[in-house]
Amino acid sequence: MAAVLERSPEILSTEDRTALIDQIHRLLADRCTQADVRRIMDSESGHDPALWRAIADLGLSGLTIPEAHGGTGFGPVELELVMEEAGASLLPAPLLSNALATALLHYCNHAAALADIASGTQIATVGFSGAHDWTGASDIRVSGERLTGTARFVTDAQIADLILIATDDGVFAVAAIETTITPLPTFDHTRRLADVRVDTPAIRIGGASAIKPALDLAIVALAGEQAGAARRMLDMTVDYARTRHQFGRAIGSFQAIKHMAADLLIEVESAISAARNAAQKLADDAPDKDAAIALAAFACTDAFVKVTADAIQMHGGIAFTWDHPAHLYLRRARANAQLYGTPNHWRERFIRALERQA
Amino acid sequence: MTDAQIKAEVEAWLATNWTGDLPPATQQFGRDPRSSWLAKVRDAGYATPRWPSEWFGRDYTNDQAKIVERAFAAVGAPGAGQDRTNLWANTALAHATPEFKREIVPKLLAGEVGMCLLYSEPGAGSDLAAIRTRAEPDGDDYAINGQKVWTSGAASADYGMLIARTDWDVPKHRGISFFFLPMKQPGVEVRPLRQITDEAHFNEVFITDARVSAANLLGPLNGGWSVLQTALAYERSVMGDAARGPRSGAGGPKGDAALIDLAREAGKLGDPLIRQDLARVIGYRMLNKLNTQRAKAEMAQGTSSPIMSLGKLAMSRILHEEARVRTTLLGPESLLEGPDHPRAEDANFLTLNAYFTSIGGGTDQIQRNIIGERVLGLPREPEVDRTIPFREVRAG
Repeated sequence: MAAVLERSPEILSTEDRTALIDQIHRLLADRCTQADVRRIMDSESGHDPALWRAIADLGLSGLTIPEAHGGTGFGPVELELVMEEAGASLLPAPLLSNALATALLHYCNHAAALADIASGTQIATVGFSGAHDWTGASDIRVSGERLTGTARFVTDAQIADLILIATDDGVFAVAAIETTITPLPTFDHTRRLADVRVDTPAIRIGGASAIKPALDLAIVALAGEQAGAARRMLDMTVDYARTRHQFGRAIGSFQAIKHMAADLLIEVESAISAARNAAQKLADDAPDKDAAIALAAFACTDAFVKVTADAIQMHGGIAFTWDHPAHLYLRRARANAQLYGTPNHWRERFIRALERQA
Repeated sequence: MTDAQIKAEVEAWLATNWTGDLPPATQQFGRDPRSSWLAKVRDAGYATPRWPSEWFGRDYTNDQAKIVERAFAAVGAPGAGQDRTNLWANTALAHATPEFKREIVPKLLAGEVGMCLLYSEPGAGSDLAAIRTRAEPDGDDYAINGQKVWTSGAASADYGMLIARTDWDVPKHRGISFFFLPMKQPGVEVRPLRQITDEAHFNEVFITDARVSAANLLGPLNGGWSVLQTALAYERSVMGDAARGPRSGAGGPKGDAALIDLAREAGKLGDPLIRQDLARVIGYRMLNKLNTQRAKAEMAQGTSSPIMSLGKLAMSRILHEEARVRTTLLGPESLLEGPDHPRAEDANFLTLNAYFTSIGGGTDQIQRNIIGERVLGLPREPEVDRTIPFREVRAG
């Protein structure tokens, strides 16, 4: 299989990378403000097609799709950086679902669907059943020529055109229109989930071995999202601690607040280091990439949860109000802590990877 | 001179002079057993190439000096780069009187005198500016009385860099002076300080009517606090250099494997809770290493990195957590000590010695203040003693 996903470090100079990040940073500052996030999360679909179009026009909907298939042809390193920006602004758009689905299509050598995804006209996502089912509740079966059952908690399924079902018997492609999609009332309002029930002819596009490398890329993307979001939440909190006065002093001058902030800075910087390291190791196909990815998975999740939880405490009453953004970040953090496996799961995977390396 | 000429010249000098057979450096603070070699390096201008030529230097730029350091490192010869790392010589060059500078700087560069630091006191730890050791003028000398603590190398030192109070009627930072105190005199008594680990790496120094010449004053009278800042900056840069070097068992795959091996030996590698603990601790270590790598990469690109200042606080958590996990792995075996119980010795030593990192060189709490204020830009805590005469400051 073409190693396009792995060749990114050579094609992008630091300057190009900075320019890419600048572009998305400007787009999100302009089109994904707190007001936009709330407008989108309160909408019926939880999705803003005009914003998605703008994102696609920057090449981000097909960021890791090879150029030959109409994509931008970038790799894990660029994806991770983009996701830091997306996470920072809590972008409610199917970047993560798209990255996972396109990687899965890629590793299945199923290029036919990629062009429409790259152009932003189609949205794809992945449901899991079997060994990789992080929900523990999906029950998709392949019986005879048919694919039947339910894949639970499928990200962005309510807006997807193409749904891939990853099972121990291989990967199957289903048009969303052929499925029954039941949107779920999600705790994180900025990333929707749905149950996807299928009872269709089984169209197998690849073996189960394609799932792990695709998930690796999704974990790196998710780690970047969490690191970027954690940094933004800490920045907001430190700004507030500098300006909010009680007892005639900025609350950030109190060691009770200052020491929490210092501890959170370690969490944030460690998360960023872990996410970027995992991206680079994946791009290099390094022998210790599994440990690096597992480390990023639990370190970034734990950091994001801790930063958002402490941020609310440090803000005090203002962050207990619905209108303050802190709870939206906490909700995302808690949701991400379940997605594709919990921190405990990834710690176990980390030790197994180290045992294999030794 | 071009870079190539500088490189050729230093390589030729090393080829002529470096034989590679030196006794090892015995300790950080005492007289250096390699001093005849170090004197040669000094006289050739390679100890301090960034310094002016009248002070054993070559007026090199930073980049030119790095060529020298790389050439020395390539053959394993010590003595270069002292204009970056020699705390004592840099402090003396910047602040000593011309007369004293001429006497002391050459000896410091050759490691011919042993040195120690006389900063902390029993009543001035985190709050170093609260020192109460006094220096009083007496003829051409000052008479020194007081007590210092946490002094490494005091027994072998010829001089101590001393901060002492010379004015009690001004706020605490403004009444401190900085001296090179001769240690080999009757009024200076050194007693080893027994630590919780049962080692004695430090000393208490009792100073009773000791004398120091006014010529040994560094910087202006009562201007010692800013001299101290210079010295502390060099000390931190030396500690930073040391932290970048290899450390046995710390960090790399070797250290990670060691903890996993210990769990296997203890028959607990299959315990899911232990595996979670192992992942946390090994993860902390790896994250700290990744942070340091990223900080260095960012600094190499010219971006200043805040991450460097996080390392010590992060390391403190790593050590305390690793001690806890090692103890859990051993269970009742950790009740024992002594050479027949090396695993218990390791775990128990680590448990106690972790405080060396979380207290020494600025407690974790002081580190959090520094990170909060200098990195995150949070305002300082109001200090009630900052503007009042030191004589009126409450102590106890």
